[in-house]
Amino acid sequence: MRIISRREFHEFSRMMKNLNKKGSGLAWLVAVIILLTSYSSARADDAAASLPIEELRAEVHALRQEVSRIEEENRGLRRMLKEMEDDAVYVVVDTESNRLLLRQGNDVLHAAKCGTGSRSAIEEETGRGWHFETPLGSFTVLGKERNPVWIRPDWSYVEENMPIPAGNDPDRLVRGVLGKYALLLGNGYKIHGTKWTNLLGTRFTHGCVSLGDDDLELVYKSVRIGTKVYLY
Amino acid sequence: MRSSMNNKIVGLIFLLSLVLLGADGGDQARDERDVLQEQREVLRQRIEKLTEEQDFLLFQKEMYAADSKYLVLTIAGKTGRLMYRNRALKDFRFRTSKNYPATTFGPGRLLLTKKADEKRERRALIFGNALVIKWKRTKVPPQEADIPVISVTKKEMRSLFYAVEEGAQAYLVR
Repeated sequence: MRIISRREFHEFSRMMKNLNKKGSGLAWLVAVIILLTSYSSARADDAAASLPIEELRAEVHALRQEVSRIEEENRGLRRMLKEMEDDAVYVVVDTESNRLLLRQGNDVLHAAKCGTGSRSAIEEETGRGWHFETPLGSFTVLGKERNPVWIRPDWSYVEENMPIPAGNDPDRLVRGVLGKYALLLGNGYKIHGTKWTNLLGTRFTHGCVSLGDDDLELVYKSVRIGTKVYLY
Repeated sequence: MRSSMNNKIVGLIFLLSLVLLGADGGDQARDERDVLQEQREVLRQRIEKLTEEQDFLLFQKEMYAADSKYLVLTIAGKTGRLMYRNRALKDFRFRTSKNYPATTFGPGRLLLTKKADEKRERRALIFGNALVIKWKRTKVPPQEADIPVISVTKKEMRSLFYAVEEGAQAYLVR
């Protein structure tokens, strides 16, 4: 912004010197007029250099409309996101830290130590092998069982160097080892109890997620068929 | 006597000049201009804020449909959240460093370009040139030394490292 020109400044200085020398009131007068005139002219220059006021008004108006438009769009998006939200309880299992969370929205309803797949492998003489890893991804509770019965799979016999019985052999049905409850996740994977409670918080299972009795009961009673289970 | 008369005349002319300068309506126009310019500035800032907000809302909408886990990092609170389809899987806290304080980070989307795991304790999640997430004692690979860093605990680093894949997204919120 130009306040005063060089020429005006020199003129002003000269007048001031004159004033000091002679103490003339007239010199004061001229000096003040020069100052006021230059200030006024500087303001006029500024105004001329910037946007005409009508354009400024129009710009502000357009910006207001832009704000309204984006606010409206954001309201719509927030509404859409709210509608997509559900308030359902869901289960999250962190297979690295072996923690299970029961969550609802932003809240953690319950946290528990759990056991997950040991990531070990066995192989039988025929070359058939098993890798004990908890599957990762998004699952759904497909069924709920009380006092579940464990149907011993082949690997269980291979692990103990036992002969593998026929598929319908009653020896395969074992009661009590999965705790009082089980949540079925599909492909034989479950969230169930364990007698190895001292190992909870580590990877020791054959792929299922195991919980202590109290935690299992709470989770079992909090979820329903269709509840989402996220394993990562 | 003459000097006193002169002074009175000077005073009168001075007052008159002031009145005349004010009478041209310049101050009024200037006041309106100032107000408009101020409003323009406020509105521009508001638009910037709303646009940022909209970008995050669009990101969330997009993530509902995406089959990928992602991170939302809140700079002000230094908190992070691992999410999947807008459901929280894990909450964690992070630290910023002296070299890269919270003010270093602007809001917006990031893409996980690299999972560095040359050694178990050197795991890092690298989001282009924008961000590195690492365990606090991990040394950042030399080629990524100039990228802003945040650090998490060793346990959380391990969980996060395996939870997200290259190509996953993160969003930095102010």
